Amino acid sequence: MAAGATATSLQTGAAFRRRPGFPAWLVLTPLLVWLILFVIVPTVVLIVLSLGEQKGLGTIHFTFTLKNYARAFDWTWLKVLLISVNYALLTTIICTIVGYPAAYFIGRSSERMRNILLTLVMIPFWTSFLIRTYAWITILSKEGLLNAFLVSAKIIPDPIGILYTPFASVLGLVYNYLPFMILPIYTSVERLDNALIEAAYDLGAGPLRAFSQVIIPLTQPGIVAGALLVFIPSIAMFAITNLMGGGDPPTIGDVIHKQFTSGRNQPFGAALGCLLLLIFFFSLWVTRRQRAE
Amino acid sequence: MAAAAMTPSWRGPIPRKHGGERVQRWIFGAWTALVFAFLYIPILLLVAFSFNSSRLNIRWEGFSLKWYSELFGNRTLLTAFQNSLIVATATTILATLLGTIGAWMLYRYRFPFQRTIGFLIFIPMVMPEVLMGASLLAEFVHFLRMPLGYTTLIIAHTTFCFPFVLVGIQARLHGLDPFLEEAALDLGAAPAQAFRLVIVPYLMPSIISGALMSFTLSLDEYIVSVFTTGAQSQTLPLKVYGMAKVGLNPQLNALSTIFVIATIVLVLLSELLTRRKNS
Amino acid sequence: MIAFLAVLALANCGKAPQPPTASQPATPTPTPTQAAEPAGDADKNLNIFCWSEYIPQAIVDAFTKETGIKVSVETYASNEEMLAKLFAGGGTYDLIQPSEYVIEGLIKENMLTPIDRQAIPNMKNIAPEFTSMSFDPGNKYSIPYMAGTVGIVVNTELVQDDIKTYNDVFQEKFRKNIVVLDDAREIVSWGFESMGIPINEVSDENLEKVRPVLEKWLPLVKVFDSDSPKTALLNGDVALGVVWAGEGAILLNEDKKFKWVVPAEGAHLFVDSLAIPKSAKHVKNAELFINFILRPDISAKVSEAFPYLNPNVAARELLTPAQRNNPASFPTADQLANMQTFKDIGEQATKIDELVTSLKAQ
Repeated sequence: MAAGATATSLQTGAAFRRRPGFPAWLVLTPLLVWLILFVIVPTVVLIVLSLGEQKGLGTIHFTFTLKNYARAFDWTWLKVLLISVNYALLTTIICTIVGYPAAYFIGRSSERMRNILLTLVMIPFWTSFLIRTYAWITILSKEGLLNAFLVSAKIIPDPIGILYTPFASVLGLVYNYLPFMILPIYTSVERLDNALIEAAYDLGAGPLRAFSQVIIPLTQPGIVAGALLVFIPSIAMFAITNLMGGGDPPTIGDVIHKQFTSGRNQPFGAALGCLLLLIFFFSLWVTRRQRAE
Repeated sequence: MAAAAMTPSWRGPIPRKHGGERVQRWIFGAWTALVFAFLYIPILLLVAFSFNSSRLNIRWEGFSLKWYSELFGNRTLLTAFQNSLIVATATTILATLLGTIGAWMLYRYRFPFQRTIGFLIFIPMVMPEVLMGASLLAEFVHFLRMPLGYTTLIIAHTTFCFPFVLVGIQARLHGLDPFLEEAALDLGAAPAQAFRLVIVPYLMPSIISGALMSFTLSLDEYIVSVFTTGAQSQTLPLKVYGMAKVGLNPQLNALSTIFVIATIVLVLLSELLTRRKNS
Repeated sequence: MIAFLAVLALANCGKAPQPPTASQPATPTPTPTQAAEPAGDADKNLNIFCWSEYIPQAIVDAFTKETGIKVSVETYASNEEMLAKLFAGGGTYDLIQPSEYVIEGLIKENMLTPIDRQAIPNMKNIAPEFTSMSFDPGNKYSIPYMAGTVGIVVNTELVQDDIKTYNDVFQEKFRKNIVVLDDAREIVSWGFESMGIPINEVSDENLEKVRPVLEKWLPLVKVFDSDSPKTALLNGDVALGVVWAGEGAILLNEDKKFKWVVPAEGAHLFVDSLAIPKSAKHVKNAELFINFILRPDISAKVSEAFPYLNPNVAARELLTPAQRNNPASFPTADQLANMQTFKDIGEQATKIDELVTSLKAQ
């Protein structure tokens, strides 16, 4: 019965949605106001900025030119964008694989343990980002702990350069975004109906099949949410790739940031940012279209 | 009766009959332990270095408590840390409220421009921080004519935090049994009551999740803070980020160690207290 | 759980700092005629906007103790961050700390208040070669704070070669063993210097000329880092670096195996100065602070914390011999004579950035 309800919840849910009355509008207003004031207006500011030109040290002339966008379609910047997307994709995939079992374990734990474990997941990230990352640098450097261990255990003859490589960049990214994968998956796991899992086993499924055919599909919303919360922010996250990857190759976040600093071209940075937004919206629109079919 | 209605009933009794599931639990438990080890390795290192007598955290040079004593005299660092906590807490509260109510209203009702709102919510997540900071600064200064300080900082932080909460709660809402709320309404509850007594308990794990994420994001935010802060509301990352030039002061390690230990103790204490209350 | 944290934060609210001071017009006191201790503004506040960690807190506190002026310090990690906020408005800063090329631009765009030299008698402590520099003739708008160069650091345990020039550093055998500043302007200027092109002639043709050199150099670099290039050197991940002098000085102090080399082809000098923006509300207080910083004992304390090139001659005498002899902190007179400073290159900055980014991305 519960399974039936879940399976059809999307349809019934859709039909179930009511037209909003006045109280509903009232409740939604804070969100609307916030969106208009602090999302729409800054975005408009950004678009206007991208159509301008920077003169001198920082004055922007609003000339309504498209040349920033024209410049953005140069292979130099597109390549940088591609590199960033690749890093983000890799990070998301690794976070999913590493994070799912942990999220599952926490979600199926007793109620007491769940909150403790969840908070414990987050606590490392309440330390300053810089000192955490420098701690990793100390671990991964040629004279660092990991190399010292590997050499003394005779696993490798000489220290290897782990740091300042793409591997270190992705490691740093995974480390920083793992909680953002674990938490959403956890919320999906937590609401798993035991009766369903019980039913799967009763029908003869081994643990592997029960997992792949029942549990993972049921927790799919959590996985999708986690993937979004990792993939999207990590595209523009350049602090980690700079610190642990040595700043080479450059990422789109770094490029945009530089336009506001040494590049002296804020409008160009804004144009790149708007392109990012456009790309994102396009892919979101495509995936929603696909899901509707 | 209300209390009984609040105990989550959708989980049912935890089955323990299957050996396969127990093995699975052990394997997953071990994996989780490894994940925790991974998460905490740099933390252990920075705790260790908070006792390092050398200033540059490259080599261990001897045990010392001097960073702790210096930390307590470092008024600016402590003030910055306090500011970070204040801003992060306010941000968490606001972002969680906005995210929860927003997610619910969008799920429950058919508003016009639903799709547009859905897109707009993602913008603060997609937009690179320097762009968000610059555009918010321009807005605060030229359109809203607000002085830069705590308020602008909190607004800016909330803006990029609440989408994280909202997305998380939407995921949880996907699996909501629609008849849950219907049942409450049939029993005579007003929509607001039904929300508070039935939906919120159901959403609680994702609300807590979202709150934890918001707090974390706000605590460590640097770029947006640079643009939207005033002189009085300097947060910890702002003070810290320039420190790299002269070598990160181990006082930071001391501060982080204290905070980590304090938080862990708080969490365990609160669990102990609830256990005492329930027994 | 959140409740606990909220309570914790709120409990501290009692000690929360004051809300941002509303901008009050400072009533200017009449210009003092004597040089002794000029009076400040009636409003005893000062808003400093400076590089993070560049002005030790102890000095700020000492200033407050002596004058009763409350100082609030806002920090930034790059010149352009400061410019972005300055141009956007919203912050009223009384004192900023720009680098030399920025000052030139600020003067051109009329963003600085002229400094009253009468109010800053300690100006006499500045070494003559640092007064009246090309970016601010007559020191009308700025007072030098700290200077430095960019040079080569060699880890002599890993590299036994005699490194003297940029070309010595950027050799194939040192592939992926080098750290450089993540600063496009710097990198291009090194290329120029190695080719004998004046560093401020950043024309399109010169950029085309230096492109093949940079094409050869950049792939050899392992780490690009402007914030803390010393880290890669200290960790042993790289053996050579082209870094700020201050970083070099710290490395030399840390371990004798590091050697500092001023590139033979030439180096440039950067000068960070204190300046007062046009929108400042407490000009007199700012001038008092500058005068305070220029005191020998105070300036020596700054040197202690940041081993850069201190233009304050009187302060240099208070430094230890070890500090004075650090070749990274204090280049020889000949080396100094050969150095130029960066000039503002306007929109060419964008072209430089694009050149370096495209070469990095290859």
